[in-house]
Amino acid sequence: MSQLRKDPLVNRWTIIATERARRPAAFVDPQSTVTNQKNCPYCQDKASPCIDESNGVKIINSSSPILDDSKPFEPHRHGLYEAAHSYGSHEIVVESPEHIANMADLPLVQIKAVLQAYALRMQTHRKNPFIEYTLAYKNYGVAAGSRNIGHARSQIMAVSVLPMRVKDKISGAEKYFDVHERCLFCDMVSQEIKNKERVIVENEHFVVIAPFASRFPFESWVLPKFHQCDFVEGIKAQEDSLASIMKDILLRFKIGLNDPAYNYMIQTSPVKDASSYKDYYHWHIEVMPRLTRVAGFERGTGFYICPIPPEMAAAFLREVDIRA
Amino acid sequence: MPELRRDPVVGRWVIIDSEHSKGPLDFPKDNNTPRHHAICPFCPGREHQTPHEADAVRPPKSLPDTPGWQVRTVPNKFPVLTAEGSLAKEGIGIYDQMTGVGAHEVVIESPDHDKTLTELTREEMLSVIGQYQSRFRQLSKDARFKYVVLFKNFGSSAGATVEHAHSQIIALPMVPKTVLEEIKGAEEYHQKQSRCVFCDMIAQEYQDKERIVAENTSFLAFCPYAPRYAFETWIIPKGHSADFALADQSTQAHLAQVLQDVLKRIKKVLGNPSYNYYLHTAPVGYADPSCYHWHIEIIPKLTRSVGFEWGTGLHIVPTFPQDAARYLREV
Repeated sequence: MSQLRKDPLVNRWTIIATERARRPAAFVDPQSTVTNQKNCPYCQDKASPCIDESNGVKIINSSSPILDDSKPFEPHRHGLYEAAHSYGSHEIVVESPEHIANMADLPLVQIKAVLQAYALRMQTHRKNPFIEYTLAYKNYGVAAGSRNIGHARSQIMAVSVLPMRVKDKISGAEKYFDVHERCLFCDMVSQEIKNKERVIVENEHFVVIAPFASRFPFESWVLPKFHQCDFVEGIKAQEDSLASIMKDILLRFKIGLNDPAYNYMIQTSPVKDASSYKDYYHWHIEVMPRLTRVAGFERGTGFYICPIPPEMAAAFLREVDIRA
Repeated sequence: MPELRRDPVVGRWVIIDSEHSKGPLDFPKDNNTPRHHAICPFCPGREHQTPHEADAVRPPKSLPDTPGWQVRTVPNKFPVLTAEGSLAKEGIGIYDQMTGVGAHEVVIESPDHDKTLTELTREEMLSVIGQYQSRFRQLSKDARFKYVVLFKNFGSSAGATVEHAHSQIIALPMVPKTVLEEIKGAEEYHQKQSRCVFCDMIAQEYQDKERIVAENTSFLAFCPYAPRYAFETWIIPKGHSADFALADQSTQAHLAQVLQDVLKRIKKVLGNPSYNYYLHTAPVGYADPSCYHWHIEIIPKLTRSVGFEWGTGLHIVPTFPQDAARYLREV
């Protein structure tokens, strides 16, 4: 019998469809990574001018930005409706001087440099009083929404509104804190480590779990073991540790699921009033292989059908041999 | 210049990416021509390949699970929720879970494998709508179910695994998040304004005109001001009504007409794209029908959602709704 599970943070239910559960191997879905170095804009240096460069990581403005600072935010009403200029910034992080497609294949020191670059850019954007949220994320592979360039890159957006899903998470964490006077994520970390069955890998500072109410097969969350609401503060002195656990989980995807498309996004606290989120929010990274399609039911209800129990997904990823 | 727009019901912001504005021909094409007659379990004569019929539109004397039907509802052979068993809830530390009790049905919309909804006659289309409503009424009687959702996946990139025209119905033991958010937004609006936010939206759409796609006596079809997807189109009853299950015969006929009309427009303008639609109605036994207003949301599957959208819930839409509406209106 399938099971309904509730995400304790945003109260979103997921159906874990055990009746039609597919074996982990059924998801293995090779994608062709065409790596044509000749046409790579990052190798040819044909991309937009560089904003920042350090340790082989380049930050450039997106050539097709969906946010810009050409006009102020200035919301205006139109009867019932409200609109504003899409104020903010949209940057590309070119992760390595070498033409390597998957972050999983970058050396640790390069992954560390990418994480540090995220933190630096976030810090810069936060100084802008019109910015409400910064998001660092990656689309790898065509199914995850990336163009087929074959050169590892990620993106950073700074936006002038607090996005809906972030609001949901914040308000869920706040409600839990009001009742328990503890951080929900800290409780999650200790319950998962005690329980073990959904833990994929851990090190001194981080644990990677398949969340209890996973929306997608092999969805994985990288959770810091120590409480900190903010990514920029949180990775200080832990960059090596985070780089190594990111490489670890991405290699497990690559080897275990045959180089699938994936997304990850760094969920950090909002820019404004950081002090009020301090106690109850807890930064983390969501990593999701893109193996299934979102259909009408998910779109219409916000209710996800996950075709494999997260315990089975965790066991599968745990057993992948990444030394090969 | 890109623009941020806020949805008046749930307060969700979206980005309209006008810099790279896309017209109907700028999206990749799907091939949604039916091909697999030989192995289709939904075709007449193969009734035994599905679970036993739950409901059907068929001639008075014809037997269940035999050919002759016009529309046929069967339990899904691979249900995500099952109707047997009682609802058991359990807490595990910080987590909550319950047994997957529910219903999962398939409405086969035509006996003809080659017909999509756009090719049905007016009467056939009305039978489909009538069958939808009959299932809503039936499933709402089960005390374990709090919400019934009807949805359609057309084309493989919208999630369809069988090409023969069909929709699906899932009855759930709770009200899903997206609907709760709409209800909460509508209730808050009603508290402040003493009016239905959807009724006000209809009034403003008439004033602005530019986002209207089609209309008839009972329904308005328009592209919402702050859509999540390119060419997203809503069909909403003009008169206030919270519950689809209460729509009368003539309303159903008008719905059949407008739904088919909009689907034809989408097919023509976007080259037979994959799409989803789903029906949002009030939860079973909803106490205050003055706040909520049922409607259908149609979403052509043209783009992929990327990491940014998953991470933030902030959708990036490559087509202005007034442009999408103009293309659809003028076809």
